[in-house]
Amino acid sequence: MKALMSVGALVGVLGLLMLIGMIFGVVPSNTVRLVEGYMPMQVLSELAVFVAGFTGLSYLANSMGMAFPRFWQGVLFWTFVQMYLKFRIYPPIPFSVRAMYGVVSFVAVFMWVSANEEDWKKFRQPILNVLDANTGFHKALRTMYLILVPLLIGGFSFVTMKPSVDEPIELRTVHPAPPASTKVHGKTYTLQTSQNPYRVNLEGKYDQAYSNKLIVEQGMGRLMAPNANPWDEKAEGYLKYVREGGEIFFQNCHFCHGDNLNGRGLHAFAFNPIPANFTDPGTIAQLQETFIFWRVAKGGIGLPNEGFPWASVMPPWEQHLTTDEIWKVILFEYWHTGYYPRTWD
Amino acid sequence: MGSVTRTKLMSVMALCAMIGLLLMPVLVAIPALASDGGAPAADAKKEGGEAKVEKGKDVYYKTEGIVSGPPAPKTTDSEKDYPRYNFESRVLLWFANQQHLYYGSFVLAVPIFCMIIEFMGVVSKDKALAKRYDQLAYDFIKISLTAYSLTAILGGILIFTFLTLYPAFFQYLSGIFRPVMHIYALMFVAESGTLYIYYYGWDKMKEGFLKWIHLSMSVVLNVIGTILMFLANSWIGFMMSPAGVDEQGRYLGNIWHVIHTALWNPLNLHRILGNMAFGGGVVAAYAAYRFLSAKTDEERAHYDWMGYIAMALGVSFLIPLPFAGYWLMREVYAYRQQMGITLMGGLLAWLFIIQATMIGILFLSTNYYLWQALGRMRGAEKYQRYIKYLVFLLTCGFLVFITPHTIVMTPAELKAMGGQQHPVLGNYGVMSAKNGGINVIITTTVLSFVWYMRGNKVSTVSWSKFGNIFMGCFFFFAYLNIIMLAVYGYYIPANVRVGLSVPQVATTLSCLFFMFALNSVMMKGAKQMGPIEWGKISARSQYALIMLATAFTWMMGLMGYIRSSVRLFWHVNEIMRDNSPWAYTHTVGFAANMISANVLFFWISIMFVFWLGALAAKKAPVEAKAAVPGRAAAPAVGH
Repeated sequence: MKALMSVGALVGVLGLLMLIGMIFGVVPSNTVRLVEGYMPMQVLSELAVFVAGFTGLSYLANSMGMAFPRFWQGVLFWTFVQMYLKFRIYPPIPFSVRAMYGVVSFVAVFMWVSANEEDWKKFRQPILNVLDANTGFHKALRTMYLILVPLLIGGFSFVTMKPSVDEPIELRTVHPAPPASTKVHGKTYTLQTSQNPYRVNLEGKYDQAYSNKLIVEQGMGRLMAPNANPWDEKAEGYLKYVREGGEIFFQNCHFCHGDNLNGRGLHAFAFNPIPANFTDPGTIAQLQETFIFWRVAKGGIGLPNEGFPWASVMPPWEQHLTTDEIWKVILFEYWHTGYYPRTWD
Repeated sequence: MGSVTRTKLMSVMALCAMIGLLLMPVLVAIPALASDGGAPAADAKKEGGEAKVEKGKDVYYKTEGIVSGPPAPKTTDSEKDYPRYNFESRVLLWFANQQHLYYGSFVLAVPIFCMIIEFMGVVSKDKALAKRYDQLAYDFIKISLTAYSLTAILGGILIFTFLTLYPAFFQYLSGIFRPVMHIYALMFVAESGTLYIYYYGWDKMKEGFLKWIHLSMSVVLNVIGTILMFLANSWIGFMMSPAGVDEQGRYLGNIWHVIHTALWNPLNLHRILGNMAFGGGVVAAYAAYRFLSAKTDEERAHYDWMGYIAMALGVSFLIPLPFAGYWLMREVYAYRQQMGITLMGGLLAWLFIIQATMIGILFLSTNYYLWQALGRMRGAEKYQRYIKYLVFLLTCGFLVFITPHTIVMTPAELKAMGGQQHPVLGNYGVMSAKNGGINVIITTTVLSFVWYMRGNKVSTVSWSKFGNIFMGCFFFFAYLNIIMLAVYGYYIPANVRVGLSVPQVATTLSCLFFMFALNSVMMKGAKQMGPIEWGKISARSQYALIMLATAFTWMMGLMGYIRSSVRLFWHVNEIMRDNSPWAYTHTVGFAANMISANVLFFWISIMFVFWLGALAAKKAPVEAKAAVPGRAAAPAVGH
């Protein structure tokens, strides 16, 4: 047990040192990289390793008779989580989400330190010592808190109330609900039931399962499936349409949405927000093809009231592309990102 | 002997009367329905043939039917259609509706608890324990009786608010649901009669055959209550996903189509589970309040036990609640994609994040209560040092579960983030991760329950070591399976991904049923390390119960608001437009304040109800007081 805890402690100390090094720029921030595609699980795993490490540290300190006060364990662990979120994860997390995480981790620390009476007594003892002020040191601390706490509250209130020149917070609706139907080039499409006419098998029949087999594979990189190269001159049917969609994409869309469809095109950073990143699992992977069809055809100016604050410079492509071209470009986007359009069956 | 026979006879007659009350509305309604459906046809025949019969197509069922009602009125922003005070009518209606729903849910849930607890008392072989269960059930129904009157009063206020502020809409709705509304009213009469016989007959029917009759009455009472709720659900189901009418909103003569809309059944299931969880929470809060204000150890022991039972019942319905909600959302998406997107990805998405936070709080409070409850058992110390790992699991699940897809941020933050989606956190914002998050939370709650159930016991079966290892592995692989499926969900088509929730839920429920069953077998004849010292629990645990109840109340208010506002500017979705000046969606801040005000009012008024209940107990005769179980030495009962 002791050996296991020692390993844990070692991992904890190393991890902590590395994080502190990254914060102060001593250790390059890309020493242990967050790997695209694995980042969400990597973050949770790293946190688990840290928890195991701190447990080992605490165990060893206890067995050496140098138990670390529970109060400071709680305070420091919460501080560690905030530091981790602020300095480990890149790009920076918006304050609203960090605030949510901060509150949850605060509650979690409270639940941990008050889970049983013994721990709770240990945790609150330093607080009671300051409040009781039986020693000179505690009396000085109490006086300091008496001055500091109102000052902090006052300072916080001042900063909150002070007029700010920053742009206000926007609650942007990423996926406003689409209309039931949309009219493009004189034809009405029911979004719930319409299908991409080019998602077809070799017999020319609509076949999602067939096209799903031919999209690129997700993973560390995005690789074409064997025998599914749209740029092969012999490619027919679905793959041929993907190629045609790709040509339309690179003639019209890639300037903003980027060569890799990740929203980082040549002009992307002229806009805020930058164009949609199709490789993110939260964009086209969550939507029906008909939703994309509607958004491409109608553009930013076609957003409904719900799409407040209408922060989209997407042109209404129905003014520049034919209906067939729109369907083909959508086909290409799903093929290239390796995502499947949402279906309801 | 003769008197006993007469009492039995009277009891059986009372039960028959209840069943008669239950069936009366149906019997009364049958001829009404028949004539209702036949009237237009008969009229048509009188007028000389089928050519005069106008037919319409059902907007949902796509069947043809004879037009039997006027079209939905096209209202205007006028005093005629929307009479008003110098105030937003919608807010008044919101308040009346929410308060009625809170009390309605409470009085529908509590009799179900009474039925379960009374049944546990009847089948218990331990006489002292049976008596305690019986007294507890009686305490429950006593609380609900005052609340029942308030429910009726609030129902009246709600109807008057509708009639006076939204007359055109209410006229249309009542025109379509005319027979249903009459059945509803009759069912309410049946419910009242049954409830009073059930309550006042408690002492007269406390033993033997009569007790079984009494128990049967509670079944009838709950059947009536459930039908009442289903009927009320049909109205909101119709407003969200209308059926049985044509595109103009004209009734087509088939009342079953109007009731049985696309969302009726998911709403029924979700509401019944929600009511039960809410009812358990409110009773647990009542017990916590009484525990915290108790003057004696006996009182503390009684209310500690009452709080535990109410919490356990509430949570047992809370565990399947997210799955019922998932079904409801699935049906919403299937009914109208826009409605689903407005809810989960669009305008109302942030309210869903708040909902996820509330769900997390419910489970966190439950776990915290159970960990505190370990403190009143000798021998449970061995589990307490592992609690920090459960905290970690719960926190990770919770953080993933509440991560928003639509992040609130300043344009500067948006720019710094390099796009609308965060490359790390964006992955937590979609359904696949959230399913994993909530299943981890629920599985951890199940684990906490298992620890609690074996807290003061040591298994004596010969295979206990194997059993413990098996349980450990089972939970480990359950977590692994849930997380792996959540990750796998990113790599497959959406329709398959939606289906992945089934094995995830199955994994969680397997933990619940198999592990509870295995634990019970292992703990049969187990060595007791010490008794459960009822009343010796921290005050923090009781605050956790109050938090649980408050979170339930707030969440009910929130979900009611979300469900209602998803219709956007429609009174009846796509059939009758809301042309009042208030046909817009409130800001998140206003809605949150309004929900908080409703919650506050409910808790202040229910405190009054509790106070009344306590007043009655104080005035009880001396011999009745002696029967209060808490006053007897608390037996070392199981959980």
